Amino acid sequence: MSDELPEQFDLVVIGTGFPESCIAAAASRIGKTVLHIDPNDYYGDVWSSFNLEALNQLLEQPSPSLLNASYTWHDAATETNWTREALLAKSRRFSLDLCPRIAYSNGELVKLLIKSNICRYAEFRALDHVCMLYNDELVSVPCSRSDVFNTKTLSIVEKRLLMKFLTACADNGEDKCNEDTLAFRGRTFQEYLEAQKVTPKIASCVLQAIAMCNANTSFEVGMQRTQRFLGSLGRYGNTPFLFPMYGCGELPQCFCRLCAVYGGIYCLKRSVDNICQATDSQELLLSSAGKTLRATHVVSAPGYLPGMVCELQPHISRGLFIASSALGSEELNKGGGGVNLLRLLADEGKREAVLLQLSHYSGTCPEGLFIFHLTTPAVSNDPAADLAVFTSQIFKAPAPQILYSAYFTLTTPTNTALSPVKSVYCTAAPAYELDYDAAIENAHQIFSQLYTDAEFLPRAPDPEEIVVEGEDPSALNENSLPEDLRAQLQEMDITE
Amino acid sequence: MTARNPQTLMALPAEENFDFLFKIVLVGDCCTGKTSILQRFKTGNYVEKHGNTIGVDFSMKTIEIESKQVKVANNVGPNPINVAVINSFFWEQLQIWDTAGQERFRTITQSYYRANNGVIIVYDITKRSTFANLQKWIEEVRRYTASNVLIILIGNKCDLEAEREVDFEEARQMCQYIPEILFVMETSAKENTNVEDAFRCLATELKRQHDVSNVQELNEQTVQLGQGKPLKSCSSSCNLT
Repeated sequence: MSDELPEQFDLVVIGTGFPESCIAAAASRIGKTVLHIDPNDYYGDVWSSFNLEALNQLLEQPSPSLLNASYTWHDAATETNWTREALLAKSRRFSLDLCPRIAYSNGELVKLLIKSNICRYAEFRALDHVCMLYNDELVSVPCSRSDVFNTKTLSIVEKRLLMKFLTACADNGEDKCNEDTLAFRGRTFQEYLEAQKVTPKIASCVLQAIAMCNANTSFEVGMQRTQRFLGSLGRYGNTPFLFPMYGCGELPQCFCRLCAVYGGIYCLKRSVDNICQATDSQELLLSSAGKTLRATHVVSAPGYLPGMVCELQPHISRGLFIASSALGSEELNKGGGGVNLLRLLADEGKREAVLLQLSHYSGTCPEGLFIFHLTTPAVSNDPAADLAVFTSQIFKAPAPQILYSAYFTLTTPTNTALSPVKSVYCTAAPAYELDYDAAIENAHQIFSQLYTDAEFLPRAPDPEEIVVEGEDPSALNENSLPEDLRAQLQEMDITE
Repeated sequence: MTARNPQTLMALPAEENFDFLFKIVLVGDCCTGKTSILQRFKTGNYVEKHGNTIGVDFSMKTIEIESKQVKVANNVGPNPINVAVINSFFWEQLQIWDTAGQERFRTITQSYYRANNGVIIVYDITKRSTFANLQKWIEEVRRYTASNVLIILIGNKCDLEAEREVDFEEARQMCQYIPEILFVMETSAKENTNVEDAFRCLATELKRQHDVSNVQELNEQTVQLGQGKPLKSCSSSCNLT
């Protein structure tokens, strides 16, 4: 065994972001030899989580995938003990995501993690509250039956209406000929909601938080989303959502770990300078750090392929805030701070943003501090301006005490990443989505193109199920017997 | 097959039937024998030839730990103070993680270090470079683990006395300068020297630390997938339908 890198691989993956890591793990799992490299010295690319110092460094040197970056300290005006120095002293306790996501308890990510047994590498925190803004007030949307029963947000009549409506949604689709819903095919979900004669409060509960709709969402999509929400309830916690402990940057690493367990080789701080087709075979020749590697296939994150100029456009506008107090009432932040979700609408429901409040219970910040992740589809090259309509809704009296704010834009290639060389595939940049559905779909699709008919991430066996060569787990070897039993055995041997 | 404790032939407690669970990670340079140590501890066997670790990356082993607790009862009566030493036994499940060969190019994922209780750093007594790299491993452990993590140092391959390049005394001295390290021990996975002892000492210490800290663990509120809580234990969550 040497530290020399082998030269021949079935698959070379460039970039350790979420879709690349999925593909690397899936290929390694079915026995392919995989080299997984990343030009950065950390795992996860734009899907990574950073400590405070590392995030600031990253924002000071924007890359093509991360533009318009800036950060500001607001510590001078505060009365708390959280000065700039105090925050930086705890820099490592922060896990700040560029692409924060949450997972539906019964969604694609959770299903994939369980199916492949990668879930053993990850821990999650169930979200405490799904919130909505109603009449400028932040209220919790009741998720479970007991929530509906206990909530003070709704009147008794509203409680019954909401239960009736959600039960109808859950049953929808089982009865195809239901006249009630047939009439709404091709119309909007809002129209359906209005026809159910629910109160405005319930309507905004459903539109804002449960069905995650706007005024134009079609009936079918709205119904599908409502059912996805309902289908994820009652599995792990009070809400249908999970957040990965220590930040979303953990997830690509879980996939990388599986890849490594099945023999994948990992090199960080390594890039590829050139890729060309070999003249004598179907293989690709990659030159990397003065070395030539041969690979049957190459998968790369956008922007890491040599010789390929891709135009980038702003895609997601992000705001990241560190505060010394939480959003909303005491009720929403029991036990020192909740991990809460709030979906915001602006411009008469045409624009939306997702706000994720993280407390120390998520393992992403020190106790007593809160992180607010604000995400919206980019409409301009100024993330702060894009988000202004949303920050003005939430950061007003009594506003949380903001200590630090950062804004940046995540980009996506304008052309759908056609690579110049055959058998080189490009993954997609992070999409604007709550869960990982599109990213998993992207990875699965590329994997199917590479290896037709192979199963995508079959279940990895538990260690108890693996019999290492030359080892019989059922046999107790004599040396491991206790002294007295061994003596008895020896006596038996002698008497025989 | 019922699982049995090889030492006592007692049937092991059924799965999940243990008092404590601790997560331990093994780190150290490539080829210091981490997987062999783990194999030896887990199965009692030694496998001469390992390539880079493939397919296996963690092992569970439940061991019995004896714990001496001094109980002071302040009685009213002729004997004002009763002191009793209570020996109690606990089943402790150790979940030991192997690096899966990611240390080869110094690219261990940070997530490997998350939420662990103990770290075993392994060096090879016949290879000075693995000892020289300890500093880097300790820095990495400091960076990524919680502050209360327990670290032990293991010098493996002590059966190869003739090829020794690192004296035990040298390792002991180094440990004095690094307060996080609980103790250093030389082991041989091949000849089964000190392997069990090293894990046992660490496990005992973990138990003791657990008793002292008595802090409500953050862990209790986290979710591991595939282990949905039974509904009766979380009254606030039930299905709407």
